[in-house]
Amino acid sequence: MILINIDSLSTTELQYIAQQERLSNWQSLDREELIDALEEAFGEQDDELPSAMKGKINRNRYCNALTDFRGNKQHINGLPGVEDLPESYLDTSIHLLLRDPQWAFSYWSLSPASNLMIFGEDGQEKSNLFLRVQETNLSTKGVRTFDISISLEDTQWNINLPNIGSSYVVDLCWRDKKGNEMSLAQSKSVETFPSYWQEHVDELAMDGDLFTMHFSSLVTREGEIVDNAVLREIAQTLSKGVL
Amino acid sequence: MSNTSVAFILNAHLPFVRHPEYPRFLEEDWLFESISESYLPLLRMFNKLKAERISFKFTISLSPTLCCMLSDPILQERFLQYLERHIELGHKEVQRCNESQPEFLEMAQFYLGQAKQNLSDYQDLYRNNILDAFKALETSGHLELATTAATHAYLPLYKEYPTAINAQVELGVQSFLTTFGHLPKGFWLPECGYYPGLEENLKYHGINWFQTASQSMLLSQDKVQYGDYRPVRCPNSVAAFPRDFQGTSLVWSNSSGYPTDRVYREFYRDIGYDLPMEYIKPYIHEPEVRVFTGYKYWAITGQTDQKIPYRRELAQAKVREHARNFLYNLTRKGSDLAPSMENQPLFTLGFDAELFGHWWFEGIDWLEQVIRLVAEPGQTVALTSPSAFLSKEGSTLQTARPAFSSWGQGGYSAVWLDGANAWTYRHIHKAIERMEELSLRFSDQISLKQRFLNQAAREVLLSMASDWPFILFNKSSTEYAEKRLKDHLKNFNVVYGNMCKNAVNTEWLVKAEKRNSIFSDIDYNIFNPNR
Repeated sequence: MILINIDSLSTTELQYIAQQERLSNWQSLDREELIDALEEAFGEQDDELPSAMKGKINRNRYCNALTDFRGNKQHINGLPGVEDLPESYLDTSIHLLLRDPQWAFSYWSLSPASNLMIFGEDGQEKSNLFLRVQETNLSTKGVRTFDISISLEDTQWNINLPNIGSSYVVDLCWRDKKGNEMSLAQSKSVETFPSYWQEHVDELAMDGDLFTMHFSSLVTREGEIVDNAVLREIAQTLSKGVL
Repeated sequence: MSNTSVAFILNAHLPFVRHPEYPRFLEEDWLFESISESYLPLLRMFNKLKAERISFKFTISLSPTLCCMLSDPILQERFLQYLERHIELGHKEVQRCNESQPEFLEMAQFYLGQAKQNLSDYQDLYRNNILDAFKALETSGHLELATTAATHAYLPLYKEYPTAINAQVELGVQSFLTTFGHLPKGFWLPECGYYPGLEENLKYHGINWFQTASQSMLLSQDKVQYGDYRPVRCPNSVAAFPRDFQGTSLVWSNSSGYPTDRVYREFYRDIGYDLPMEYIKPYIHEPEVRVFTGYKYWAITGQTDQKIPYRRELAQAKVREHARNFLYNLTRKGSDLAPSMENQPLFTLGFDAELFGHWWFEGIDWLEQVIRLVAEPGQTVALTSPSAFLSKEGSTLQTARPAFSSWGQGGYSAVWLDGANAWTYRHIHKAIERMEELSLRFSDQISLKQRFLNQAAREVLLSMASDWPFILFNKSSTEYAEKRLKDHLKNFNVVYGNMCKNAVNTEWLVKAEKRNSIFSDIDYNIFNPNR
């Protein structure tokens, strides 16, 4: 739940939201106190907002109220025969999703048979699970791997991708008490590609027209650049660290 | 003679929200607000200019989910009821303002007039279906219409599933064909989400162009010549139109865009919150949940609660000033770029259509002013559409590969894959895998099983909508989004579980077909990987 543009809301609006949020003493609070109380009530959620969204006029899609409170009446009923979603599925698999060129998100599941094989019937076998990330340089085809230890309770992981210009796959692996290793499942690959201009920043730096051609569309009149880590890196290199 | 071209591309999209099981449903207002505040006024503006023989060219992508809702008889009827409530409230407001708040009377009258005009246009002019009106403007050459993914899925997160990507694209194209009678040339990539290789599927379905995020050119593997100021051709010849962030930000920026001007109307101050419950109760959410009514009387003023009353004439003067400023910026930019370019620059400006009129109350007036100014003699800026541009200058484009990108925070997939929504992919991906499995095991079924499997395909596609993870990320209507997403997946599991037992749950099927009645002619075999 979020609260939007709190400073712009009328006292009536604030009182209504306070009532909705069941703040005990909302009728006795003045405007400033109401804002403080609501900011505290909503603080946890609003702290999660990206900084770029705070203190600005927000245009949230799909918002027809000041909060997402919708009363307790309209809850869509499930259709006959539906059951809750399982926490995981009965197969052994691993997936890798590219979040950005530096990070990928992986999730996996272990079948009961895999569980039995790894941890034994009593679940006491001293086995280890780990992720083996395989990085293949797209130019040199050089391969390297690194491991991430995980526990039986883990089902997902954010994986740092150290090098742009590489292909990555991740294996869900098992190491038994003797040190033997085995891959239980392998993800499909994700690729990150290098940017020509990131690798040729000097060309942009030496040619004003070229720089204007490529950067002027990415910066607002107030100097705000498109929200992107690689662009910021290029901009910083070009400004020799001034930005 | 123009030296700069501008392509406005508006993305008209809403998720499929339809709840006939309730007399009124809060989230259905997303559609009704968009029709009454954006789509109908936009059509009025376009038709007025057309009647005045003022030339213009715009591009609008109408999503299949939106098209389905716009042509749904139940929602059409409910929209009429929405307008009637709005008119009833308008009459009460005119009377109330006349008696006790004369400073708001002009706007109360304006809103009432607009609601009446909407009702007249919707019922009498468009016979409850505004899609025909967009088609007429396309036929007359004023609009290029484009399609998008079937349920507006954020495609980069489904790259691992080519059948799902194909289903989203193919149904997007099919839906457009059914609605508008011809194949689309353009495809709006939901959230500007692009990954290298996506263009292959687009080409397979006859798509000529798509749009990308601004940074997709600077981050390209190739030495892109003209940044975001010219489209490029992917190696398979489909054209990619990069969005000009600077030009777009003149309007879009939350901190400095035109809509933030202090004289414009404040969106968040609404009589739904300001007036006593006994007065406003019939026009808000049942039983007594305050929501926006659309009757808003205050100007933005600043980050304060001490708002000043909205004055339409001041806002209209500002609209003209902002339209001139916009064209001044583009003209100057075009002149600055010209010496470094062999051909004139193209500014591609992509927006959510609902920004205009709904969020930015004066936005449609601003678009009208821009069009009028462009039509003036001596103006060096010309309006174009991607297809018109390609037919003229398509042979001059550089071949290059756009980079993985989106228009979301961070420029990649972070919005649709963060702590609040990453859990969803485990289930959606599994549903896709199982749908593929069902399509293989039970290909070419007929009768009840065919309907059962078709409904399963609908449920998978509806779960893929980019709107649910976006709402979970944005924390705006999370309860509803989570419920919808889970319901589609649970519904799919009903089919999977039953088909594995060679059974059909007919009670579920009948109810599910009624509830999630989208893509009436869907063929579940679309998920068959061997197809």
